[in-house]
Amino acid sequence: MADPHDNTKAAPAATAELHDIEYRVGDVHILKGINVRFRPHRFNVILGPNGAGKSSLLKISTGLAKPSSGRVTWAGRPLADYRTAELARSRAVLSQHVELAFAMPVREVVMMGRYPHYGRAPSAHDREIVERTLELVDMGHKREQTYSTLSGGEQQKVQLARVLAQIWSEDGGGEEKLLFLDEPTAGLDVHYQIHILDIARELQNHHCTVVAILHDLNIAMQYGNSFFMMSGGRLVHETDAADDIRRELIEEVYGVRAHRITDPETGQGIWRFSL
Amino acid sequence: MVVGSRCAAMLKRLSFGQIYALLGVLLAISIVASAGLGANSFSLGQMARYVAQALGLAATPPVDQIQHNVFMLLRLPRVAMAGLTGAVLGVAGALMQGIFRNPIVEPGLVGTSAGAAFGAAFFIVLGGGVAAPVVSHLGGLGEPLLAFVFSFIATIIVYRISSSFGKVNVFTLLLGGIAINAICNAATGFLSLIATNPQARDITFWQLGSFTTADWHGATTVAVVFAICFAWVLRHGKSLNALMLGEDEAAYLGINPGRLIFVLLVINTIMVAVATATVGVIAFIGLVIPHVLRMLKSADYTFLLPGSALLGALSMEVIDIIARLIIMPAELPIGIITAIIGAPVFIWILLNQQRKGAAGFYG
Repeated sequence: MADPHDNTKAAPAATAELHDIEYRVGDVHILKGINVRFRPHRFNVILGPNGAGKSSLLKISTGLAKPSSGRVTWAGRPLADYRTAELARSRAVLSQHVELAFAMPVREVVMMGRYPHYGRAPSAHDREIVERTLELVDMGHKREQTYSTLSGGEQQKVQLARVLAQIWSEDGGGEEKLLFLDEPTAGLDVHYQIHILDIARELQNHHCTVVAILHDLNIAMQYGNSFFMMSGGRLVHETDAADDIRRELIEEVYGVRAHRITDPETGQGIWRFSL
Repeated sequence: MVVGSRCAAMLKRLSFGQIYALLGVLLAISIVASAGLGANSFSLGQMARYVAQALGLAATPPVDQIQHNVFMLLRLPRVAMAGLTGAVLGVAGALMQGIFRNPIVEPGLVGTSAGAAFGAAFFIVLGGGVAAPVVSHLGGLGEPLLAFVFSFIATIIVYRISSSFGKVNVFTLLLGGIAINAICNAATGFLSLIATNPQARDITFWQLGSFTTADWHGATTVAVVFAICFAWVLRHGKSLNALMLGEDEAAYLGINPGRLIFVLLVINTIMVAVATATVGVIAFIGLVIPHVLRMLKSADYTFLLPGSALLGALSMEVIDIIARLIIMPAELPIGIITAIIGAPVFIWILLNQQRKGAAGFYG
């Protein structure tokens, strides 16, 4: 495995950038003067308390919502210039929890990720990608099972397989991809959390930029390469080093008392919180 | 029971194409049976002769002119109308369940049919009187057009009531449907009250559904409208599948959910309004048909849409045969039979939904 921080050999990177973003819904001013440049081929983490505007920032970055003013570019090209189908082939979004009201087998749910890539019927290539992403998330043995009968963690792994199938490209294809994760591990036990984030982290070695909203600060610092701290609709801190997130900042933004201990095995810092 | 479950397992193994073929063969048989059976019954030989004569293949003039006319002008258009109506309602049910992301939705539940019936009644009762200056220059289009307008308004109101933030709430959906149906039925009832006698009888037909008034003109209209709408709808099977994930997830897959839902609601309402204006309100078919197909084979809309057209047509032919035979020589209104069969299925689905916590109840 290549060193994830060695980015020198990469093709011209797809940098997702937000310029002077203002976002209002009705009278509510949700995002205020946001300027962000997500690091290409890295695991970018958006942090911040509830109501800080993280989800809105993600919606605007993915093109789902349009900012009131400002612009979003991807590889220098305004997001508004992309056709929706074109966008769907190069960026995917894993949300918190997706329920299906109808019985669909796991394999069919993952195949939905290939919808932007084929017309009437999936090709052998599409089927192969579905099989490979299912194997990747360790759900190949449940491919024929009905989605709604799976546990929450298994369902989320299937959704991960679906979004991976959506932006799948063979190594060396050099196509730039973006994966957004909106609290992907909310409500999952620690095994599924680690499994899903391990797979997402691995993607940065495959021309993929990951942007994730994560609530657990320790998990975020374990996986992230770049951190964007939001509070009250503003970007209050931005850093490429977890150690750079200072105690005063956490205490102020989250309204908690925080202290850091050191993991005797890894030497990494672990945050503990109290009120 | 063992035979039933073995049959179900066998159907599961068939491909979509094989199931279409199976339904197609059964539909063909039901069409022949429906054409032959009734207070006036025709043998296969008779039917073949009449059709051959009508197509100009047999030169000899019919000896039994009255029987010939009964078959060609009353029975056959009725058979065509029943099949077409079944197909329309089956497809409409599948479509609306996809749009509302809920298996309890069908045209009769969310006001689509009741709105159409009110529009048609409005045209019949007031089209020649108070509303004549507005409606008269629409000509033959007036009735289906008014049916469409009111049908669409009723449907869109229920959709707006039940959906918020990209999710559909079952309770507001049911309650909204009840309210809109009550308003439409009350208005239609009022119209039948103020209508002069022959018109009032027409309105009673709509509220129960009947194929007795079917003619070639009506059947052709419904056929053309259905063919156009169905061709359009078939292109959206994948999009409806993606919509199962929710509106945001569908958007991330390159679909514009707002536009998709609007376009499909319009197409759906056109089909249902035209069929309803012709044969009246037939409830529960749109509910039961997609449900049966999901249990037998798959919830995939690329399968459900064509499958519902075939199974809808097949079921309606069978129901129409029953309606004609059960109290011969009189007839039962179609809506009575579909309600007797459909309402228990509806309750069963609801109970299932409740038990499994309003989601994933086909597992």
